Amino acid sequence: MSPSPRPELVADGYSAKRPRWAQLATSADHKEIGQILICGALGFLFLALVELVLMRIQLLVPENTFLSPVAFNRMLSLYGASAIFLFALPLVIGLFYYVTPLQIGARGTALPRLGQTGLALWVTGGVALYATFLFTPSEAGVNPLAPLTEVAFLSNNGVDAWVTSAGLATLGFVLLSVNLIATLKTMRAPGMAWRRVPLFAWATAVGSWLMVVIGPVLLAALTMLMIDRHYDGIFFADGSGGAPLLWQHLSWIFYTGTYMLILIFAFGAIAEIAAAFSRKPLFNRNVTMASLAVIAVVGTLAWMQNMLTAPIGIGWMYFAMLMSLALIVPFGLVLFNLIATLAGGTLRMRAPLLFAIGALFAITVGLASELCHSLVASAWHLKNTVDSTAATHFTLIGGSVFGGFAALHYWFPKMTGRTMGENLAQISFWTIMVGLLLGFVPLFFAGTEQGQVIDAYKYFAGTGVTAYNVIASIGVFILFVGIMLTVLNAIFSRVNGPEAGHDPWGGETLEWFALSPPEPYNFDVLPDVRSARPLRDIREAIGHRTRRSERAASRESQSVA
Amino acid sequence: MASHSPGTDQIDTLFWIGFFAAAILIVAIVGALLYVVRRYRGERGAEPRQLLGGRRLQFRVGAVLTVFAALLFILGIVFTDNAREKPSTGDAGLASLKSEPLKIEATGQQWLWRYDYPNGAFSYYKLVVPVDTAVELSLESTDVVHTWNVEELARKADAVPGKTNKVLFSTGDEGNYVGDSATLSGQAYAAMRTEVEVVSPEEYEEFVETQLEEIQTAQETVVGQIENGDTP
Repeated sequence: MSPSPRPELVADGYSAKRPRWAQLATSADHKEIGQILICGALGFLFLALVELVLMRIQLLVPENTFLSPVAFNRMLSLYGASAIFLFALPLVIGLFYYVTPLQIGARGTALPRLGQTGLALWVTGGVALYATFLFTPSEAGVNPLAPLTEVAFLSNNGVDAWVTSAGLATLGFVLLSVNLIATLKTMRAPGMAWRRVPLFAWATAVGSWLMVVIGPVLLAALTMLMIDRHYDGIFFADGSGGAPLLWQHLSWIFYTGTYMLILIFAFGAIAEIAAAFSRKPLFNRNVTMASLAVIAVVGTLAWMQNMLTAPIGIGWMYFAMLMSLALIVPFGLVLFNLIATLAGGTLRMRAPLLFAIGALFAITVGLASELCHSLVASAWHLKNTVDSTAATHFTLIGGSVFGGFAALHYWFPKMTGRTMGENLAQISFWTIMVGLLLGFVPLFFAGTEQGQVIDAYKYFAGTGVTAYNVIASIGVFILFVGIMLTVLNAIFSRVNGPEAGHDPWGGETLEWFALSPPEPYNFDVLPDVRSARPLRDIREAIGHRTRRSERAASRESQSVA
Repeated sequence: MASHSPGTDQIDTLFWIGFFAAAILIVAIVGALLYVVRRYRGERGAEPRQLLGGRRLQFRVGAVLTVFAALLFILGIVFTDNAREKPSTGDAGLASLKSEPLKIEATGQQWLWRYDYPNGAFSYYKLVVPVDTAVELSLESTDVVHTWNVEELARKADAVPGKTNKVLFSTGDEGNYVGDSATLSGQAYAAMRTEVEVVSPEEYEEFVETQLEEIQTAQETVVGQIENGDTP
């Protein structure tokens, strides 16, 4: 026996891996970070829903005293911050972060430590917000308008904690987005030109650029608010040169951009699912890609739609109306192309497609309802009524809950090697759908007919809104149950779900070429990318080769005979 | 919403235009979605036709959407401009001001609305205005942002500290109109309501006179009490 060409190391007695928690806490791998963001987002979703349910219990009957006004405002502030900074954005960015490097055939990310820092900042922000339960949460509302947030009006630490939390989380999102942009720019597989990038990866590029633009705007506003509160600043204080409206401009740029980001994410995920489940290519890919970019720019420029009752010039109001109405074109084209992708296919109605269709429905209803808020004079009637609550929730629940859950069901087998329970998914879907309709359709009526105002801790008997609010409360309780069913389904299926294999849906993009779950380095080898559907190219090539060898074999057998 | 002024009539019309536009979009898109889902359900079978796109169809859809958006934009501007039109004082209105609107200051403060009338009188919670008269409310705030909201009479508008926001309205219907505030302003936000009482010009004149006299009487009483030293 010849001597071994390599020296052999003795590895007995050494554990192969560090403990799981230590690995998670120190990993800069995009899959670990993505999963932490997604799991964290689902955890905070539970907390956000508890707060929403508490508020809806308070609004079950007129002039209820279940929550005190202060407690209600605290729940409202926590709910708003949790829903945006701790649920929707981390779920969206977590899925971007997990899936996109796989989709473009990268073996990692370009700036892994930057992303790791981003995750750490987000976790710290989430802890900072919920640590306020030890003292006093903020009472200033979902988008806390200055000067209510100034020390003169809310002197306790709640607003500071909110500022810290939103600031850390936003900075984290910006760092994660910078890494995604760098990865998409530099690490695409050979042959993957921008026109061949999967639509979800394109949504990642557009969404990350958007976050890099709007994130610092909010960070600047938060810094100014902190200076106002603690260092005698006057940025948002009235008099002595301060401008309360400045806060509205800066914060609405961020919140409007975030709204668009969630929709861009949802459209990206739905496009992948629609293509995979109809077994067709995306209809008019280029137009859809361009539309997503237009939505990011024009949508964010419509921020003043939220300020139509503020003392701003009528010209600015018309500018906001122009921008928001212009959005009808890109939104309409994207929706048309997604439905056209489904048309003519063979639709397998599994959970991802079901949630994707639910998302398209809810987003359509929400965006169409926003139309009445875009027309200036109509907004003078509807602004800050519960009609706007309903429209926003339809769009954002459509984007982040239905869209997010569609993406979760779709890529869950890639993350864990198992599919999520199908029956539970179907039950959860219909429960969420009933909850959404019951919980928010009555608010359209309460807002447009009776003008019930938002954010109020009570309403009065005899104003004609009691019945609407009772139904809405019951709807939100059902919504809570439905959403929790999917969260439980994910927890349960992670260990006990049916084994899925590497490509359960017959996907056509590169992430389905990796193992499930992928190795830390993602890919051993990569196929050449020659179209937007590299895996389909491989299947065709294999098909050709198999048929050719079959023909050769049959010729041989004939000649023998 | 029942409208009681020319301005809110325009607002109402534009709302219904938006409502029907939204309804058309929802019915078209959701209808197409549901049709496609029902029509093309299926587990397996031959691979469907790999249709990559249709440039002409896409162009048509884009053109229809552009025309739809442009039409809404034009209607939006027309009806918003109508709603902003300065109301004029009619024959049944306050005779003393024919060309000028009746200027009243409305001040939002945590958690009350205060109204200051031209003759120096003021009132809290309830605003009294004459019928068929153009009223110009100057909204101001002494603390945080409040939104003045009496939706049967006028548009919603924010009172922002350091700024003045003007709301013009007139109504031909006497009566009481309740309103509230529509921006979260702190603890008692939900209770920060208001009421507008529309009365005849004579009753209005009488109200502001009495109000002024009573304020002056109260003022003199307090000063008298302090000077006499019999304050509690």
